[in-house]
Amino acid sequence: MRSIRPTNAKINADLLRPVNKPGRGWYATVTVSVLVVLAAAGALTYQFSRGLGVWGINRPVFWALDITNFVFWIGISHAGTLISAILRVTGAEWRRPITRCAEAITVFALMIGAMFPIIHLGRPWFFYWLVPYPNERGLWPNFRSPLAWDFFAISTYLLGSIIYLYLPLIPDLALLRDKSRGLWRRFYGTLSLGWRGTELQWDRLERAVRVMAVVIIPVAVSVHTIVSWDFAMTIRPMWHSTMFGPYFVAGAIFSGIAALIIAMAVVRRVFHLEDYLRAIHFNNLGLLLLTMSLIWFYFTFGEYLTAWYGNEPGEMAVFRSKMSGAFSPLFWGTIVCCFAVPAPLLAFKRFRTIKGTTIASALVIIGMWFERFLIIVPTLAHPKLTFNWGTYRPTWVEMTLTAGTFGYFVLLYAIFTRIFPIIAVWEYKEGFSWQAEHEDLPSLNEPVVASGD
Amino acid sequence: MAERILAIFDSADEAQAAARALQRGGLPRTAITIMSSEPAHTSTADSAGQSNSHIGTVAIFGGVIGASAAVLLTVLTSRRVDLVTGGMPIVTPWAFGIIAFELTALGAILAMLSRMIFEAGLARRGALSDYDEAVADGRVVVSLQCEDDSHRDIAEKVLGSNRKLDPPAQNAPTLNESTDFRRS
Repeated sequence: MRSIRPTNAKINADLLRPVNKPGRGWYATVTVSVLVVLAAAGALTYQFSRGLGVWGINRPVFWALDITNFVFWIGISHAGTLISAILRVTGAEWRRPITRCAEAITVFALMIGAMFPIIHLGRPWFFYWLVPYPNERGLWPNFRSPLAWDFFAISTYLLGSIIYLYLPLIPDLALLRDKSRGLWRRFYGTLSLGWRGTELQWDRLERAVRVMAVVIIPVAVSVHTIVSWDFAMTIRPMWHSTMFGPYFVAGAIFSGIAALIIAMAVVRRVFHLEDYLRAIHFNNLGLLLLTMSLIWFYFTFGEYLTAWYGNEPGEMAVFRSKMSGAFSPLFWGTIVCCFAVPAPLLAFKRFRTIKGTTIASALVIIGMWFERFLIIVPTLAHPKLTFNWGTYRPTWVEMTLTAGTFGYFVLLYAIFTRIFPIIAVWEYKEGFSWQAEHEDLPSLNEPVVASGD
Repeated sequence: MAERILAIFDSADEAQAAARALQRGGLPRTAITIMSSEPAHTSTADSAGQSNSHIGTVAIFGGVIGASAAVLLTVLTSRRVDLVTGGMPIVTPWAFGIIAFELTALGAILAMLSRMIFEAGLARRGALSDYDEAVADGRVVVSLQCEDDSHRDIAEKVLGSNRKLDPPAQNAPTLNESTDFRRS
């Protein structure tokens, strides 16, 4: 069955509605997230005034929730740019309504993730001392440090992701310019750079987006690989692993897809975009999530099997602490959340509904946060010399900051949806033209599974 | 006397048919601009000069500049400090290669963006002088730059009732004032 193209007026009205009249759901979301962010801001102020001693970190665990959050949010950032770029490069037509949802996640998750190394400095106002450039402060810019690589990788990825988000946004900014008055018109007019939609401009835009998609994929892979090397370049037990790069990248894509599904489900419900974010999108992303769940489990199994089989005392101490020691509830919780429940759930078409994929994604997000914590803390708590073993217990300050990251992310995302269309209007319209030119192919706008909600 | 004429069509097919008729009538392709709210994938693209893009080449060039900048930054800076590293090399291709990779990508991205803005004629003063906001409502606008009366006659004949002589001022209400948006 071929889907019928809605009128331009209807598409404009539906997709610009979040910008125009966001509704009560949006205000409720913003109110809750602002409260959480305010609580986190209070905790952060307290930390700045009292110093890092208000955190639970101590010898030998010097990295804990802060670096967990750093790794987790950098991982989430792989939702957008990487997934969107892969779908564009492979010509997946069903991508059209979801690319902007995904690309916005990348930018905000990266901003949040990149905050944590700075907060962790203790005196964040001196963060620029980290920037490796020739200076007069007598500091040696250590380009061999993975932390310096982080600086270059995250900066490149953030800038690239903003540009990758911005380029396909230009025609929609022009649409908003034409539909607005006053200061908003000036705002959108400035951002749209005088876009008119000429043949030449469309051609150049599409070329630029194609080039960006090709360039940004290796950058995205490099970012989480380099984050993994923050750990793998040390000779700590269960960190010094050659597979840490791909293991982290797989985990990042895994958690990124989960975040994207949740964001889509929320956007769909809050803004009543049921006609645009359809069951087929959740079904396809659910299949991707299932694939990543299997890949993640394969890497996890390989990582732990190697440690167990080697039976090296330092590695085994960390291994046992996760399998049957103090960290075992988190470890087995991770397995349940990332594999034992989502994989069977997503394997059956019957459960790969909007509700089913959203539940699986929520579990994956929880599980992947645990996984990041388990990579960092047990290893630090069990150095090779046993006299130096320690433990870690988070304080209310760290937990509030962690909750604050989620609130901050939701707030940024909500503000974005209020200013910019969360579904690319022109790309969605173009999908119908593409469909008309490819009459022989099956319709991409029809759901292949029943709606689950 | 040079004059700009706008014509508004309901579909891209109609607009492209009109553009072809204008070309057959003697108007140069460069004098015809088609504006739409979604990409027009048509055979008229090549004749509009779309194939002569250097975005890809410039991106590669930007990548080379980025890589060179990375090598200079890391090597020169490290050598200048001249730290004692216990026999380990100060300049190490393994570690510096990672930074070179990132700056290569950064150079390519920035060069590509600059070139795209240049080639697409964006961010220029007066860019909207021949624009009509009917595009926002999904209509397709054909803009003609008529250099003499013969061009104007052809335009009148071909465009007929779609013709619209005076492009609207940018702050004036649009042709199809939409009631679905209130942002002001």
